[in-house]
Amino acid sequence: MTDIPSGSGAVARTTMDKVHGSLARRHRKQLILQIFGITAISLAFLMLFILLASLITTGHKAFTQTEITLEVFIDPEEISVERLPRGNFTNVLAAAVAADLPSVDQQDRAEMRVVGGILSNGAQFQLRDRVVEEPELIGQTITISVPVSDPYDQLHKDLLDRETPENLRRLDDTQIAYYDRLVENGAIAASLNTGLLTNADSRFPELAGLKGAIMGSFWALLTCFLISFPLGIGAAIYLEEFAPKNKLSDFIEVNINNLAAVPSVVFGLLALSVFIGLFGLPRSAPFVGGLTLALMTMPTIIIATRAALKAVPPSIREAALGLGASKQQVVFGHVVPLAMPGILTGTIIGLAQALGETAPLLLIGMNAFITSAPATPFDSATALPTQIFIWADSPERGFVSRTSAAILVLLTFLIMMNAIAIYLRSKFERKW
Amino acid sequence: MDALRTVTRDIDTNSTKISARGVQVHYGDTHAIKDVDVDIKERSVTAFIGPSGCGKSTFLRCINRMNDTIDICRVTGDIRIDGDDIYDRSIDPVQLRARVGMVFQKPNPFPKSIYDNVAYGPKIHGLARSRAEMDEIVERSLRRGAIWDEVKDRLHAPGTGLSGGQQQRLCIARAVATDPEVLLMDEPCSALDPIATAQIEELIDTLREKYTVVIVTHSMQQAARVSQKTAFFHLGNLVEYGDTDDIFTNPKDRRTESYISGRIG
Ligand SMILES: Nc1ncnc2c1ncn2[C@@H]1O[C@H](COP(=O)(O)OP(=O)(O)OP(=O)(O)O)[C@@H](O)[C@H]1O
Ligand SMILES: [Mg+2]
Repeated sequence: MTDIPSGSGAVARTTMDKVHGSLARRHRKQLILQIFGITAISLAFLMLFILLASLITTGHKAFTQTEITLEVFIDPEEISVERLPRGNFTNVLAAAVAADLPSVDQQDRAEMRVVGGILSNGAQFQLRDRVVEEPELIGQTITISVPVSDPYDQLHKDLLDRETPENLRRLDDTQIAYYDRLVENGAIAASLNTGLLTNADSRFPELAGLKGAIMGSFWALLTCFLISFPLGIGAAIYLEEFAPKNKLSDFIEVNINNLAAVPSVVFGLLALSVFIGLFGLPRSAPFVGGLTLALMTMPTIIIATRAALKAVPPSIREAALGLGASKQQVVFGHVVPLAMPGILTGTIIGLAQALGETAPLLLIGMNAFITSAPATPFDSATALPTQIFIWADSPERGFVSRTSAAILVLLTFLIMMNAIAIYLRSKFERKW
Repeated sequence: MDALRTVTRDIDTNSTKISARGVQVHYGDTHAIKDVDVDIKERSVTAFIGPSGCGKSTFLRCINRMNDTIDICRVTGDIRIDGDDIYDRSIDPVQLRARVGMVFQKPNPFPKSIYDNVAYGPKIHGLARSRAEMDEIVERSLRRGAIWDEVKDRLHAPGTGLSGGQQQRLCIARAVATDPEVLLMDEPCSALDPIATAQIEELIDTLREKYTVVIVTHSMQQAARVSQKTAFFHLGNLVEYGDTDDIFTNPKDRRTESYISGRIG
């Protein structure tokens, strides 16, 4: 070290000085870049946090449902075996509530109507179904839990302010007194709202559930998957591996990329005029919804599949070809299996997009009011996003929290699908 | 080191395995191979040498029609193996490649187990009738690839988990598993260290007992060590072809001489 001539040492020093000067500049640039990146990510997280927080604060109330537990005497005078399934179930229930409220005069029809109003409109059907199933219950006293109607549900969840002047409130002082009395008796309690997932839609928020929408989305996505997955992958494999590279295939490629960018509402209009108008397929059917979504998902799958096929190293193809594998053996024995993680990820991301798609489903009528879940893909139904759209549009207070809850359910499904995509990708990931 | 010895060469009594006449290759407008005539002897090692871009790989890939997979590549002329024109309409390239195996520059095992790598060729050509027969083919091939002892306890471990030299020997084992007549090797040692290279060279020397081997190499020493015949390519022309000893000790063409003495390349 010591015997290095001083001349070259000087040269080295000046070079190092220059490097030092530029080093400081480069570090500064890197720091700025890092700050930008961290800021951007923090902002994104903040937005996500605000979104989720607001959804959860409004939506969590919809995950419980206020119910009233009643000792119901099934009065043979009101309900007779011969007239089932008809019968005066409302009166029987009102009487059961009134039994808990000593101040109520059971002969006063107006008052009894107010008492009956504590219960959800669906309570009578719940009781009816129970009695139809076991007619021998007539004449007996049974214990049954039924939902309370929306204003009482709101009151129980502290969403109804008792300080509001009486004439502006949805419940007057007497009604609140009834409610307080029932709470005192321990008849009213909140329980987990399983109806949110097991009921279909309803005019009454306390009865409205997502079963119809979930089943509708399920059938639509199933149709979409069954059509777009094989067609998309087949098209991609053909275009990438077998099609001659010429003007026509270039033209097709450009058009597929364009198709992926077409606004979804256009696909909805297309579906409306072709599937429903021309082919006469039923309106509001998840099958038609699935066809429409397949149109939109297919370009995504084709693009993802082609990218995944391109990413398979050529050395693997050469190895197989060199051993005398045919083109088809190379593609299906080596290239496609190696591209599978990418293909599956692309497909699931495409399906997740389809799950959240609203506009095309609105156009084909999947925003109809339907109170039963679809049993087949050809029954009228809604889908999760259109259900959210319907509920967000409904005036009843109870639908506000249900809308948020429905959004949370939709987000849960989306997160689950993305988690599956990540899992599949890591499971099938192979090194070469 | 044993492998670095100069191989004692047989007297050339072998018959011609591959004969090429007037071979021309174009990649679009690039004229990559210009009118090449060559006769490659059976059960011998023939080395292709020459500066980068002179067309060694291109010519090698003509012999098993791997160039067919390149859209813009056009091959004309006549290449015969055992007298059969391999570019004849009646010849299926898939069948040809079962007769003419290939080992590539970069080891390229399939991301499958060692066993499946070797078994792949026999499987697609239906060479084994039973599991036991397949086991036998795999073992024989791995032995021929001089890698059996290293992998016999982990046949079901992934082939990609081997070292570079082991991977290349696995690829050689995979290529010989279909029992080809000709083995083409495109710079098989360029990604390997000297020890792995020595192992492969030794292996090539034993392979010549059974196969006709054509090897592309950038190392003159390697060509001298393993081959009996050497072909020198320059700018798409086959400049000189003859016994390796003659080419290296007594080159006839000025270009060959400059190349082997390190003046062009
Ligand atoms: N796929 C291809 N498309 C177009 N031109 C090609 C292609 N492959 C090779 N060529 C051209 O053909 C000529 C010969 O290439 P080749 O790969 O045969 O050379 P090489 O002798 O193997 O060189 P190296 O020693 O560097 O591997 C080169 O000019 C090259 O640019
Ligand atoms: Mg080459």
